[in-house]
Amino acid sequence: MKRKLLYLAQAALIMVLFYFCILPIIMVLIYGLTDFSVIDQNLITRVWELLENSLFVSITVTCISVILGLIVTFTLKRFRFWGKGILKVLMLLPLVNPTFVGSIAFIMLFGKRGLITYRLLHLSISPYGWQGIVILQVLTLTTLAYLLISASIEKVDFTLENAARNLGASELTILFKVTLPMMLPEITAAALLVFLASMADFSTPLIIGGSFRTLASDIYTQITGVYNMQTAAISGIALVIPCLIAFFMERRIRNKRKYTSETSNPMDMEYQYVSKFVKILMIICTIGTVSFFVIEFSFIIIGIFTKNWGYDYTFTLQYLQIAFSKDLRPYYNSVQLAFITATVASLLGSVLAFLIHRQKIIGSKFVDFICVFPAAIPGVLFGVGYLVTFKYPLFGIGKYIFKDAPSVVLLGTGVIIYCICIARSINMPLKTGYSTLEHLDSDLENAAYNLGAGKIYTFIHVVIPMLKDSFFNSFLKIFSSTMTTLGAIIFLLLPKNKVAIQIIFQTITSESLGTTAALSMMLSLLNLTLLLVFYLLINWRSVLEEIERRLPCKSN
Amino acid sequence: MTTKKRFAKLTALLLSLFLLFTVTACSNGNNKTTDASTTSNTAWTKNYKESMKGTTINLYGVTDAIIPVLDAFTADTGIKVANLTLQNGEILQRIKNEKDSGTVVADVWFTGGADTFINASESGYLEKYTSVEDANIPSEMKDANGYWYGTSLTIVNWVVNKDMIAELGIQMPTKWDDLLQPQLAGLVSMPDPASSGTAYNTVSAILQTRGDATGWAYLDKLIQQVPYFTARGSDPANNVIAGEAAIGINAGTGDKSLEVNNPQVSIVYPTDGTGWWPQPVAILAGCKHPDEAKVFEDWLLSKRGLEEVAKAQKALVVRDDVTVPDGLLALADIKLFPTDFKANATQRVDILAKWNEKVSQK
Repeated sequence: MKRKLLYLAQAALIMVLFYFCILPIIMVLIYGLTDFSVIDQNLITRVWELLENSLFVSITVTCISVILGLIVTFTLKRFRFWGKGILKVLMLLPLVNPTFVGSIAFIMLFGKRGLITYRLLHLSISPYGWQGIVILQVLTLTTLAYLLISASIEKVDFTLENAARNLGASELTILFKVTLPMMLPEITAAALLVFLASMADFSTPLIIGGSFRTLASDIYTQITGVYNMQTAAISGIALVIPCLIAFFMERRIRNKRKYTSETSNPMDMEYQYVSKFVKILMIICTIGTVSFFVIEFSFIIIGIFTKNWGYDYTFTLQYLQIAFSKDLRPYYNSVQLAFITATVASLLGSVLAFLIHRQKIIGSKFVDFICVFPAAIPGVLFGVGYLVTFKYPLFGIGKYIFKDAPSVVLLGTGVIIYCICIARSINMPLKTGYSTLEHLDSDLENAAYNLGAGKIYTFIHVVIPMLKDSFFNSFLKIFSSTMTTLGAIIFLLLPKNKVAIQIIFQTITSESLGTTAALSMMLSLLNLTLLLVFYLLINWRSVLEEIERRLPCKSN
Repeated sequence: MTTKKRFAKLTALLLSLFLLFTVTACSNGNNKTTDASTTSNTAWTKNYKESMKGTTINLYGVTDAIIPVLDAFTADTGIKVANLTLQNGEILQRIKNEKDSGTVVADVWFTGGADTFINASESGYLEKYTSVEDANIPSEMKDANGYWYGTSLTIVNWVVNKDMIAELGIQMPTKWDDLLQPQLAGLVSMPDPASSGTAYNTVSAILQTRGDATGWAYLDKLIQQVPYFTARGSDPANNVIAGEAAIGINAGTGDKSLEVNNPQVSIVYPTDGTGWWPQPVAILAGCKHPDEAKVFEDWLLSKRGLEEVAKAQKALVVRDDVTVPDGLLALADIKLFPTDFKANATQRVDILAKWNEKVSQK
């Protein structure tokens, strides 16, 4: 009886997940391919060109971001030098800034009248094109890569490194044969995430791409400009294919090689055996990356407080006044959306991670696939999927059953944006949950079982403490990413629950740079403050300990 | 045990924090006082009922600039307006989807390209309505079939970077043919007509006034001058302000504040005529608050409503009895192309196809 119920619950869970994670994409495919008459030679060449553009940008961005992420990780985690703490904090700056706000700063700096290109170097070059997109995406996505990779380096068992060292291996051999292979799951995961995020980014190409367009930006213009959902869906199909290929490639790599170690050492290790030259080079690289973030951030601030960027640098508060005179309700809506999404998705994802990884529930591979699938789908396309799916009654399939069914539809309700955000975020706790579990031995649970603990007891007292970190980790990530997410929800928002990021995206087109910069800075600061508050709440014990530990030192 | 307690404590803290947000947001939400005493005895009160007070209607539009107008409406009537600002095509796509699904979210659609309104009316997304103010709106400023009314005017203009023109050593451009000067090659910024109402209006107005053959001959040359076509209608103005382009084809309301705020640019209305369209307002078919929507339309088209529009958008409006706000160009100083909006909308697909062909050959 109990077993039966359990199976039923699992089946229901799979159904629900399938419903919100997979069905929308199937519906987009159907939608895009219903009318073959639109698909002609012109469309194919156009889509092919866009696909090439998208792949070119994304692959370039992925390579640069992952390499930078690795360099920064090793520098910040394996070297000891002054100012490391500050660099660690500044590395997180891009997390709180929407990518397209970076484009404002980019034009301010590198435009035809930009501070660096025009004022400093007396150049008049156009910043529009693929170079701009690549630079801007690298600036945001390097942090993403860094976060994932630096989480993995903590789990590398350094005794293995020492063992290799004692056996006479050179530092380079250790790096390539011991350390990097142990970090491989996270490195490939980082590469995949960066690739997918770059493929999905529609706003940066729209703002800075000039004539260079990508599939993601094309989906947006096809819908908003050409009013053609079907060509948008076709571009979407072309966009999904490489994303899925990358997605499966990453899984193959991850499943092929598995390294686990029983210990985890969150402390930063010191590499003593690296030459000074390499160390300094890597520190310079890291400082270079971080200073780009700082420049970007500070120029947005300058944009807020000066009258007319590039022409008139007199101090003004007018943009701040305009920003504050606006209706601030969307900011509250953003916080609400981000908080609920982060809580629900982290909880669901952590539990699922455990169920899939340890319990091997029925169809666990399929469940994993369902949950991670939305991560492979660019947000705009996922939003279009929700649009074509949930506009019909009975959760989207009513179209095929009843012609005049009562309109119980998700579209046009406030709930739909929560559904889509949760569906898109659930992979994050799943991923962090996996990597936590991968590095933790199941002996702990087995020990509990053997000592007579029940499944639920073991889950609460053994697994939850293990997954707690992954829960809070993904909570913070989902919170900040939902605050700045736009693509997925842009077609689903209602007048009553419009979010701040949408307002900012609109003002970029209609108002002065200063107002947009002020509005986006307000969002960034809100995001940052809340993240800090959450962080302190989550780690209050260790923070207190840290303060206690430091206080006597200060009084000396 | 301690972990469990700690977990509970944290959850409680998080929850209380969240509640705090809820409370503060609620208290900030609706402290606008409705003042019925300002309601003057005008025609729009005909369909108005006291019971409408407190209801909220949903509005789609393309600009945030109308928010003061909505606030004034709420102050007069007590009807609240929740607005969502989107791009033209996004709105069209939305109302199509909402109509398909039977959940019409928006009651009113105010501001946008006339072609999207015509497109929507032909697809049956709009509700026919003869406003009580109908007699006061000139016939060329409203839909012949009664689906929408024009409110303010949007006029195609050029934003010109004076510094760059001086650097190039050429005269300020005044006529459309001036854009073809070889010195301006690569420095003319124009939106993609497929995604921008401004650009599409410009293209179709040129074709309508010059005729097909000479019109396309001109556009062929214009395409050569433009380095790339921007995704959004507002990009050219920003490009010119930032010095990325010397001239940008832009849409304006007659307002000069762009010049005032950015001394390096100047707004030029071509002397040989320019494209224009009225910013429409319409009621959506099957909406949840049709009566309130009618009151909104009546109020908006009243002298009081359009005064608010003129003030908020710094725009010329369709009624002659509304005084033009300060800092606006007089309509008499701008030469407008005679425009057939219906033809604009119906020929859109063909014109865009031909345009794309030409751009891809470039």
